[in-house]
Amino acid sequence: MKKLIVILVLCCISFAAGAAESKLENIQVETNVQAVERGADALMNTCHSCHSLKYITYRELVKFGMDKKKVEDWRGDQPLDAALTSQLSDETAIQSYGKVPPDLSLMTKAREGGPNYVYSYLIGYYITPEGMTSNHVFPETKMPDMMGMSGATDPAQRAEIQAKARDIVSFLNWAADPHEEERHKLGYYVIGYLLVLTVLLFFVKNQIWSRLK
Amino acid sequence: MNNRIIKWIDQRFPLSSFVKHDLTEYPTPRNLSYWWNFGFLAGFVLVLQVVTGIFLAMHYKADITLSFDSIQHIMRDVNYGWLLRFMHATGASAFFLVIYIHMARTLYYGSYRAPRELMWWTGQGLLLMLMATAFMGYLLPWGQMSFWGATVITNLFRATPFIGDQVVVWLRGDYGVGDATLTRFFSLHYLLPFLIIGGVMVHLVALHTVKSSNPSGIDLADKDNIPFHPYFTSKDFYGLGIFLIVYCIFVFFLPNSLMEPANNIPANPMQTPTHIVPEWYFLPFYAILRSVPNLVGGVVAMGLSVIVFSFMPYLDRSRIPGGARYRPWYRVTFCLFVVDMLVLGYVGYVPPTDLSIVLGKIATFFYFALFVLLPFISKKEEQWLIRRGLPAEVQALVASEAKEKIKSPHQRRSGDIK
Repeated sequence: MKKLIVILVLCCISFAAGAAESKLENIQVETNVQAVERGADALMNTCHSCHSLKYITYRELVKFGMDKKKVEDWRGDQPLDAALTSQLSDETAIQSYGKVPPDLSLMTKAREGGPNYVYSYLIGYYITPEGMTSNHVFPETKMPDMMGMSGATDPAQRAEIQAKARDIVSFLNWAADPHEEERHKLGYYVIGYLLVLTVLLFFVKNQIWSRLK
Repeated sequence: MNNRIIKWIDQRFPLSSFVKHDLTEYPTPRNLSYWWNFGFLAGFVLVLQVVTGIFLAMHYKADITLSFDSIQHIMRDVNYGWLLRFMHATGASAFFLVIYIHMARTLYYGSYRAPRELMWWTGQGLLLMLMATAFMGYLLPWGQMSFWGATVITNLFRATPFIGDQVVVWLRGDYGVGDATLTRFFSLHYLLPFLIIGGVMVHLVALHTVKSSNPSGIDLADKDNIPFHPYFTSKDFYGLGIFLIVYCIFVFFLPNSLMEPANNIPANPMQTPTHIVPEWYFLPFYAILRSVPNLVGGVVAMGLSVIVFSFMPYLDRSRIPGGARYRPWYRVTFCLFVVDMLVLGYVGYVPPTDLSIVLGKIATFFYFALFVLLPFISKKEEQWLIRRGLPAEVQALVASEAKEKIKSPHQRRSGDIK
């Protein structure tokens, strides 16, 4: 009975949580180097002029396995250990947009919905009946439609933009938690070890308790 | 050789008698279920938190301009810093989960009753210190939720009569939550766990005086007691293995599920998050706070909702053994209480709507009503059970334990008071 109630309550909670996110598109984030590198490439061309990634350095991109030549192109004359700071100064940003564009290092962790939110936001631009550009996910946004989603009518073109957005999100997902893959790998070992240990401890316990009459 | 060293120590320090009294000959009821594992688990998590915390403090910077960056430094650059931090953050949730189960077990089986009132009260003190530690630790990452959580909670002290505003400034060290608040919270977050360790010692000394309660609720004679070591050490370690598996699933695969996304945005005093929520373990109490429309009333209700547990030894007036096990009315009350807690937790989690506000008010009323009605429920239930008679096996157990007590009065028993 008690279990049933707990399950019911948990269902209510998860349903409520699901309902709030239902308008977000669900995507499968990619973790392979190629996809993340494509995402980095797209981000450097589309986002990096205004947005920084201050917790990521160019050296980390190389260390992750990205093409060295590409990283050289991105960093220009900046040192390898420089962070991916944007070229836009805060003053200019405030003049043009009224605010400093947020740092993207933690973006996929800093929004309810995570990668799904960022993806849905990027492809969420549309033209209102009044002819203005707006966004389904974040209507108050100050960011222009950098990917051109609102103007794209051709399905092939839209699919291309969606693929690009997914790559960018894959890169941001890596940037927000660069140790994720290592964490999962270690996790399997640790939990495997604990499973064996716990089974052994169970036998030890039974062995000891069998001494009791 | 070995013996000589031990003898040398024993002449100067009661090592062997300690091991004997508290481990190898410490009488523990053999019928303890796995619900009795959680005290040991709480001790384990405490050590885990202290150890990971000490290592995290080596890399953390308590300064509002640096703390958010220093967390990212730990997460990205420090060798296995991400592991330390996720262990510590997940450990906080694990600590509350284990403590809440430990408390629920005490409530269910009536372990707070004589002669174990002091255990219950020291436990209450430990819970308050744990809550304070968790609350102060949550400010340290200096994220949006850290900042606004601390702002909302310190603001509650405005309810102090006459000197409310001064108390708030005194707590924060400034007019708003700022650098002074962060540094003092860090200092106290480091201090309190050691006070908790001291409190745990008192809790354990009390335990080893009154001995463990057990599911039957009857103090068991010697024949039903077994030495703590090796029986319960082996059982506790097996339980620890299961706990660690669950804990590691969260640490390695779901560490972000327990973290509020808004806390990955650096604190910004100029921008209030749309929805301020505390960590899950504070949700029921937060819901009670919000359910009372007036600030002073809300603060009093929230404080009372935590403190009220201390009165359990007086509120429960039944002398029927076994907590909820042989007491159907009390069992229903306990289940209603757990459901009410879950409802309050849900109300505390969702953004306030008309429905959730009404639900919160009903659940808050219900929460206190259960405690207020408990003396009458327990007394009436006792009379009813005495009229009806206890189950035969319970009566047989009570009778055989009473006989055993006369037969061998000199033997140590669980639940004995010297």
